Amino acid sequence: MKIDRNFNWFKLDNAAKIYPASHSKYWSNLFRLSATLYEQVDLKVLEQAIKNTIPRFPSIAARLSEGLFWYYLRPVSEPPAIMAEYSYPLAYMTKKEMKTCAFRVIVYRKRIAVEIFHALTDGTGGMIFFKSLLAEYLELKHKIEIPCTHGILSRKEQPRHYEIEDSFLKNAAPVKETRKDTDAWKIDGTPEEDGFLNITNFQMSSDIIRDMARAKKVSVNTFLTAVLMKAILNLQFDLIQNPKKYKPVKVLIPINLRPIFGSRTLRNFALYTIPEIDPRLGDYSLDEIINIVHHKVGTYATKKNMAKMIETNVADERQLALRIVPLFIKNIVMKMVFNSVGEKKSCLSFSNLGEVRVPDEMMQYIDRIDFILGPQAQAPYNCSAYSYRGILNVTFSRDIKEARLENYFFRELQRLGVEVTVQSNQRQEVEIDVLR
Amino acid sequence: MYCANCGVKLADTEKKCPLCGTEAYHPDIIRPEVNPLYPQDFIPKREISKTTIHIILLTLFITPILVTLYCDLYINRTVTWSAYVMFAIALIYIIFVLPFWFKRPTPAVFVPIDFFSIILLLHYVNYTTDGDWFLTFAFPVVTYLGLIVTATTVLLYYLKKGYLYVIGGFFIALGLFMDIIELFIMITFKLNFDGWSLIPMIPLVLFGLALIAISTSRAAREALARKLHI
Repeated sequence: MKIDRNFNWFKLDNAAKIYPASHSKYWSNLFRLSATLYEQVDLKVLEQAIKNTIPRFPSIAARLSEGLFWYYLRPVSEPPAIMAEYSYPLAYMTKKEMKTCAFRVIVYRKRIAVEIFHALTDGTGGMIFFKSLLAEYLELKHKIEIPCTHGILSRKEQPRHYEIEDSFLKNAAPVKETRKDTDAWKIDGTPEEDGFLNITNFQMSSDIIRDMARAKKVSVNTFLTAVLMKAILNLQFDLIQNPKKYKPVKVLIPINLRPIFGSRTLRNFALYTIPEIDPRLGDYSLDEIINIVHHKVGTYATKKNMAKMIETNVADERQLALRIVPLFIKNIVMKMVFNSVGEKKSCLSFSNLGEVRVPDEMMQYIDRIDFILGPQAQAPYNCSAYSYRGILNVTFSRDIKEARLENYFFRELQRLGVEVTVQSNQRQEVEIDVLR
Repeated sequence: MYCANCGVKLADTEKKCPLCGTEAYHPDIIRPEVNPLYPQDFIPKREISKTTIHIILLTLFITPILVTLYCDLYINRTVTWSAYVMFAIALIYIIFVLPFWFKRPTPAVFVPIDFFSIILLLHYVNYTTDGDWFLTFAFPVVTYLGLIVTATTVLLYYLKKGYLYVIGGFFIALGLFMDIIELFIMITFKLNFDGWSLIPMIPLVLFGLALIAISTSRAAREALARKLHI
């Protein structure tokens, strides 16, 4: 495929600009999408599938490069080597690796996974890339034809300009939103010294959760966020004895802006809202929290409000005085800002991809799909959710030893009468400290 | 199977409850053998960046240089004895640290550099002390030693066998080196020959010859390997 010269390099989108600067010795901002098939993965076919797919996604199959003033992305010329799975996902990615290829393809028995540096794309963009790669693999492996529906892009077509645009720049409002916000409670624990990332996956019936959410007249996302906030609230009540030391429970909910602004970009195009409850005001029932989350999301996640928020972020990028500052100085400043403000505003992120759908021709080969977020830079948790074939998955990733929040989350689901199955990558020798 | 403690349903991959750590066991339930969600005990090694190590080492070497330089300047108002310290620290750095800047440090380059640095240091000492021993003693002696050490390390580095020959040759050359030292001492410091160099030379040469003799005989090599294997 002949590549358009416009796709030789890309500026980082507005949201991505902070990611390379905030990369540290212990934290690389990755997320992971994986699919478990019903059969062992054929490595040779997968290699060919990667080779066929990457020219279609020049902004995702990319490597990080350094300019004098900004980082930028360049499409990879060679497909990355397929890697073996470690004992945990989202292993640290060095800057050197990012400069060769900022995404990985990992195979473990029947599972194909891609781990993507967040500067390349967000969960929605990543899922489109991943589904297209899977479709290509299955087409090659089983000599079938998979229609380009459900977010699958044809690998035979050229990349489109609207797919690589920075939609933030196009959709900013004339006025800014304030960035002032209170700090959230930070969940603490014993750090995993060797960088081990604990994964705990809860599986439950998506129909049951949907019915429960409907009964409360809210979305599944709102319902699950409220359950998670209730678990965090109870955990804080049990861990902190002095009520004066309670801090707000806040969960960051990413909002996919594509449907709001009608964008079809494959770059980052998401913002967030942070519902909040204050434990100093006393205990909250689940219904109260559902109400707070529902109204916060409803009033905040509107087109006009999001446009204001975009303007807040984009305004800095527009200033010539900031743009002409050399990259190494920008990195220092952005890192300082990120460390002092960035992730103090929420206890964790709860990213829900919704229902993952694939064409019927693909579904018969795919047993399960997983979506995992790496933990935050300074807070030990993150949480993701999605449903596939009637199973709702909620996956916690944490880089501390104690599985307290997962335990409290389970107790909330148990209280609601939801049957869940738990699965993890726990180390066999680790003793788990749980408050009982 | 359900966790006996917290009641969560455990996937077949779980040997313990991931939420409370309770072992998953029931005498009446036989659980199917399934692969774990992730492979066990395959953790990426966290490597410390080479540049970080170099920066730390460089700091460790530069700090005493700056301290001595400051003390010397503070006391004498000029650089006097601190120059020796600086040269000596630089020499240690060149010999022990510099090669590790490179992916594959070759002795053909770094050993001559080490000896050249030693010669420079000696030249500086000779110059500052108004000595007249550099050209007639230090330079030929260190050059000879540099040549035999370079030849030995290069041969050991590149050859795949015949190590005993090389080491034997090195000991013979080292024995001769003793005589060379005495010879240049006589020339430089106008001393008479008293034969002290023969005392280390004879055992060194004999040891070298023995190694060469062993290397020529397979039976002797095998016997030595039998007796000395670790």
